[in-house]
Amino acid sequence: MRGGDDLLAMGDGALASLARGEAEVVISDTRSELTRFAGNEIHQSVAERFRHVRVRLIDGGRTGVGEVRGHDGRAIERAFAAAEDSRRVTTESAVSPLPAPSPGESDEPVAFAEATAATMPQGRAELVAIITDAAGAHGINAYGALSTSTTTTAIVTSAGLRRSATSTQASLVSVARGDDGGGYASRHSPDIDALDVPGLAAEVVDTCERNQGATAIGPGDYEVILSPYAVTDMLEHLAWGGFSALAVQEHRSFMRIGEKLMSDRITIRDDARTHEIFAFPFDDEGVSTRPVTLIDRGVCSAVVYDTPTALHDGVTSTGHSLPQPNTWGPLPRHVAMDAGSTPWQEMVGSVSRGLYITRFWYVRDVHPLRTVITGMTREGTFLIENGSITRPVRDLRFTQSIVEALANVIQVSRERRLELGEGESGVLSPWLHIGRFSFTS
Amino acid sequence: MRDLSERALDAASAAGASYADCRVINSTVQRLTVKNGVVASVELFEDEGIGIRVIADGSWGFAGADDLGPASIEETARHAVTIAKASSRVNRTPVRMAPAPALVGEYRTLVVRDPFAVSLDDKVDLLMRTDEAMSHLAQIRVRECSLEFVREIRHFASSEGARLDQTIIESGGGMDATATSDDEVQTRSFPNSFGRHQVCAGWEAIEAFDLPGNAGRIAEEAVALLTAAQCPAGTMTVILDATQAALQVHESCGHPTELDRVLGHEAAYAGTSFLTPDLLGTFRYGSEQVTITADSTSAPGLGTFGWDDEGVAAQRSVLVDRGLFTGYLSSRETAAAIGQVSNGCMRADGWSRLPIIRMTNINLEPGTSSLEEMIATTEHGVYLETNRSWSIDDRRLNFQFGTQNGWEIVDGKRVRLVRNPIYSGQTPEFWGSCDAVAAPAEWQMFGVVNCGKGQPSQLMHVGHGAAPCRFQNVRVEPAR
Repeated sequence: MRGGDDLLAMGDGALASLARGEAEVVISDTRSELTRFAGNEIHQSVAERFRHVRVRLIDGGRTGVGEVRGHDGRAIERAFAAAEDSRRVTTESAVSPLPAPSPGESDEPVAFAEATAATMPQGRAELVAIITDAAGAHGINAYGALSTSTTTTAIVTSAGLRRSATSTQASLVSVARGDDGGGYASRHSPDIDALDVPGLAAEVVDTCERNQGATAIGPGDYEVILSPYAVTDMLEHLAWGGFSALAVQEHRSFMRIGEKLMSDRITIRDDARTHEIFAFPFDDEGVSTRPVTLIDRGVCSAVVYDTPTALHDGVTSTGHSLPQPNTWGPLPRHVAMDAGSTPWQEMVGSVSRGLYITRFWYVRDVHPLRTVITGMTREGTFLIENGSITRPVRDLRFTQSIVEALANVIQVSRERRLELGEGESGVLSPWLHIGRFSFTS
Repeated sequence: MRDLSERALDAASAAGASYADCRVINSTVQRLTVKNGVVASVELFEDEGIGIRVIADGSWGFAGADDLGPASIEETARHAVTIAKASSRVNRTPVRMAPAPALVGEYRTLVVRDPFAVSLDDKVDLLMRTDEAMSHLAQIRVRECSLEFVREIRHFASSEGARLDQTIIESGGGMDATATSDDEVQTRSFPNSFGRHQVCAGWEAIEAFDLPGNAGRIAEEAVALLTAAQCPAGTMTVILDATQAALQVHESCGHPTELDRVLGHEAAYAGTSFLTPDLLGTFRYGSEQVTITADSTSAPGLGTFGWDDEGVAAQRSVLVDRGLFTGYLSSRETAAAIGQVSNGCMRADGWSRLPIIRMTNINLEPGTSSLEEMIATTEHGVYLETNRSWSIDDRRLNFQFGTQNGWEIVDGKRVRLVRNPIYSGQTPEFWGSCDAVAAPAEWQMFGVVNCGKGQPSQLMHVGHGAAPCRFQNVRVEPAR
């Protein structure tokens, strides 16, 4: 795969032949590999490498987009031709302009680790073996996946914007299963050498062994301790449906700027400069991604913008655009909840009767405006009695408003974990102690 | 494509593969979206590459690349073998595949009018007319309609001698009208929710949808939902429209019959299944009304093809026979694990992904009733239309679905529109309570275009034939 300077030069060359109008050329080279294991053996191990070219043409009040995934020398040319075909048939409308370059802006920080980029299949297999060996030693089976990816992205526009960055991601997820129950653990980092694989192995085996022979418990409202894996699902749903300026403009968002909707213990930010949340300097329009405080001590503080939504509201983009044009709006992709001051084990100690939830599963919107979601608990639901985790209970379905849950937060943990949500965005989450959480079956 | 695949197979063999197959795929996608009277996007996407799967030292390896030059193909094949050999150092059990004949042939989706021969101007015109027909009500804040067309040219070759060429064509389209008030948001969709309805067919399918002709009604229904009564709560009779029945089949029958889930291959991500092999042939999955098949020959479903992605011929098999659990969706490797042969369900999301077990067309076979008769013979219940939310546990037992529309039924009549309905249950009890499925006249093929599974994530297009059906003693409530 090529470096950023090479891809920028390709973009420059493509723009040199632009006869009229404006254009944006995005070229990315990706190499990703993944080793997957089940029953303490590697059953799938894969690799892929590809180049993706995306061209946006703007001329005469019309915008067209062409995309090609392919490595031949004509990929950019074909993307331009497709974009022109597209542009020709779109309607004249208020075109979202190409962002102007901001002199002096740096293409840093970006989360990159040479060790991740250089990982080979044998190295991944050896890391997987740490988990499968640990599980095997306890007579249980491990399942999971270890992935690494390296992507170089370059954006060049006829407005003079030129940006590029190379980032890496390493992700390890594991489930361990015994005869009658399982456990879950994950670790993610830009740097594969920073993954605490023995720690993950110990955690997933320990959770699995404690989660054997779960007994049923009735549905109802419970006091809960949610682990960061579960909190991540809630934050990701808020990001998709609520923290976008377009959702507010279309009256689909719960966000009412200036109103206090959550506990004052809750502060949620998006900060793409944070190394551990896969820092990346710019969005899909090439605009620098600014930190945004979304919820400030429980108060709806701000939403994220791309160029079209910023134009609508007469503000500047915060650098949270997805590829333009699109109908989804901007998206925060580096969300973090501020840590509290209590060690999470102490939070458990303060619960007289409640549930400890390791993770959620298959979380879906039920009523987006009210942030009502439903889903199941999975791989580690435990009863807390008199400040101690006493026994595993069978998984439960919850149906709960996220905003209401975050209004009832009693404590936020001092520790935080990085987790990848379903959308593969990094989310930095603490443990939460919530006074009331609704389980429906 | 044949030259490329021969080079790949030769390179894999030379590097030490005991088995190899490869898929060379060229795909073209057109995606057009009109939102609030403006052409929001016309995206034209081309993709080409090769995926090479090998067995070496008893383990699988897979590598894909979009560079189709000779050196790249040979490097990709060698890398697949390197991956397999690395895995073999951890593994104790060599891969074993059930036998399958090495087939040679060609297949092409039957289309009346090639959607790629229809001009982009005509496609935009259809969407603009649809949008305009949704635009007459002030409470409609967001109007969105879209079309998608896919052409995938696939060449499959294996070291066992298979040589297969396929051209698959898909056409899809749909619309959403979203109405808002101070305290409510309601969306209605047509022909299906989550963007569109899609089938393996040509432009004739889009014309049959009649998007402009249904747009005004959809907008009116979205506005009516803003002030409709909340769905009643309680245990009652539920009648599902065919679109929701299709998704119910997808989640609670399609996924749990995937044999890779059953064997634990998906335990870390998609989950496992309650349909374990000891239940095969004896477990009562549903009532006598319930027969569910996997049929990759039932055009125009999105799971219709000539051969799956490991060269096994398209076929029909019975998963649930009049309520009895009788079969799985399988691959050559997973079928061997239970002493069977593959029924052709290995599919991959493009050249860069490893084939895994996926649904083909999972069909609820038609019964003898009708929607009209089901409503007329219901004392108290709800008729639910068009999915809005869906969730099910990792063993596919505990589910909860929400729909866009609900109609309360009292004494055999629809008495009022209700909003925010959700229903929930346990899979075998739910299908066990099915007492009616509509006849072939009301049976339709639907497409699911966002079926996620696998690591790295793969999105698959699958088909579901279904008809309105009725269930007794179901928990129903409003989403509050």
